[in-house]
Amino acid sequence: MTLWRALAVFRVVTLAYAVILTARNFQRYDHPYAAWVVIAVMATWSVVTISAYAWPRARGWPLLAADVVVTAACVLSSRWIVGPELLSDGTPTLTITWMACPVVAVAIARGRSWGAAAAVALGACDLAVRGLITQATVTGTVIMIMAAIAVGHIALLADQAQERLRLAAEVLAVNRERERLARGIHDSVLQVLALVQRRGAELGGEAAELGRLAGEQEAALRALVSPGDAAPVSGMVDLREVLGAHASAGVTVSAPATGVWVRARVAHELDAAVGAAVDNVRRHCPEDVRTWILVEDEPDAVTVTVRDEGPGIPAGRLEQAEAEGRLGVAQSILGRLRDLGGTVTITSSPSAGTEIELCVGRSGAPTKARSPLA
Amino acid sequence: MRGPVRGTHEGSLAVSVMAVHEPEVARTIRVMVVDDHPMWREGVARDLAEAGYEVVAAIGEGAQAVRVAAAVRPDVVVLDLQLPDCSGVDVIHGLLAAQPLTRVLVLSASGEHSDVLEAVKAGATGYLMKSAKREEFLDAVNRTAAGEAVFTAGLAGLVLGEFRRLAARPADAGPNAPSLTDRETEVLRLVAKGVGYKEIAERLGLSHRTVQNHVQNTLNKLQLHNRVELARYAIERGL
Repeated sequence: MTLWRALAVFRVVTLAYAVILTARNFQRYDHPYAAWVVIAVMATWSVVTISAYAWPRARGWPLLAADVVVTAACVLSSRWIVGPELLSDGTPTLTITWMACPVVAVAIARGRSWGAAAAVALGACDLAVRGLITQATVTGTVIMIMAAIAVGHIALLADQAQERLRLAAEVLAVNRERERLARGIHDSVLQVLALVQRRGAELGGEAAELGRLAGEQEAALRALVSPGDAAPVSGMVDLREVLGAHASAGVTVSAPATGVWVRARVAHELDAAVGAAVDNVRRHCPEDVRTWILVEDEPDAVTVTVRDEGPGIPAGRLEQAEAEGRLGVAQSILGRLRDLGGTVTITSSPSAGTEIELCVGRSGAPTKARSPLA
Repeated sequence: MRGPVRGTHEGSLAVSVMAVHEPEVARTIRVMVVDDHPMWREGVARDLAEAGYEVVAAIGEGAQAVRVAAAVRPDVVVLDLQLPDCSGVDVIHGLLAAQPLTRVLVLSASGEHSDVLEAVKAGATGYLMKSAKREEFLDAVNRTAAGEAVFTAGLAGLVLGEFRRLAARPADAGPNAPSLTDRETEVLRLVAKGVGYKEIAERLGLSHRTVQNHVQNTLNKLQLHNRVELARYAIERGL
């Protein structure tokens, strides 16, 4: 866990600090050379604990207790090595801040209360070494207790976060498995529906009706299970998914293999416009007329084409609807696209059916209307 | 006339008679069916047999299909992309590595877009939804056997989208990224909008054959690019 790594860094830094201060002061100590022996013990103990705490299984009471005892011994040795006079003058102990390492370790491993207890124990040693209790000497102990409580709390939060993460990963794995199973089942169901549709059409009569129903269900299920991509930007919608809902036995939706991302409002208006066009085909054309929807993703624009093989829109029909004050389907589509700053091209002929091309520019780019195909 | 076999019983009779006299010219088309659903596999195999094709194998697993194909040498493999043991793309690579002249017609129930595009890039020359009618299916097998590309409107939309993607992101596409001519784009858009080849030919004032060639070229470009990219990738990785 990262907290243990942070402690390792803390240990090295505080050890370095202790070495620097000893190097500056040791000549004034009562036993200058013994100071270096203690520093050597501290360095060795640092190496031992850093490597031991790296193992989760080693973080039990024996090591924690040993950590506190060794550190306390180093602190207490200051009385003899540094000397009572210097210490009461305010010269630091040999360990100085290194003393806080076991406190942090206990707080991480056993929580706030035990961490605070370790801080009190080591603070007592510190005060005992100095021989007098002043505001300055107590401050160190108080800071150590606060640190123990803070670190213990962080460790608790980290544990909870990790537990939640583990649960989330578990839920994710379960969902993945469920999705995998669902895909398999969907695939089987699709196969059967496709088979019923095909055989039904061949048998004719009532079976043909069953086949047709199977076909409708197949298209609906296929639209439902087609995998969606995650939106690259929030508020963007994959136009393929939105328009895919229009697919049915008589309506084919063609689109790129990768997401066609547009703003939600654009998707909504295009969806409504395509819906109006598809409805119009259903209302005005014979039942077996097929419709195709093509979604195209270009760098500067998104184009959606709705084409049917119906008898075409009679000349003057649209104008007539408008003159009668009725909002013709073309007008409603035109209105929606105009609001988006897009263009609509309607081509219709009795032989080739009707083709409605909706073109919307990307983020304010002007749309260039494509010439209608003859 | 696309091939020797027509999708009728009379056709199959004619073929078997012809096969006796002119085995080289009018050989029966050998088809292998790969699909993990037994019911579907049998149904397709029966349709094919009734229409006069020789179903040389009907198999439910990808790896096995690659092994068997090497022995039975089918002209056309009718392949479902959803197989239990390996991906459809792997099967296509395996099939074409052993026999480059085998044609692969992909059949899929769920119409999963990226799957189908990957299969076509890997070398499949046709794609059909499983909900296609029997006649459409038999016609597709026929055309696949004759070396034609079998496109649905959906596949045309995918291919069109792929070329647009390559054009929009030259960095991903690598050097020599393929691009469509204006004519090819025009034809592909029409196919994607469900316009038949005959009508496209009429609209654009082209011959039926030319329209077919344009469609096929788009596939060839994509497959060639895919092969070049795979080779480039392999060299970069020191494979």
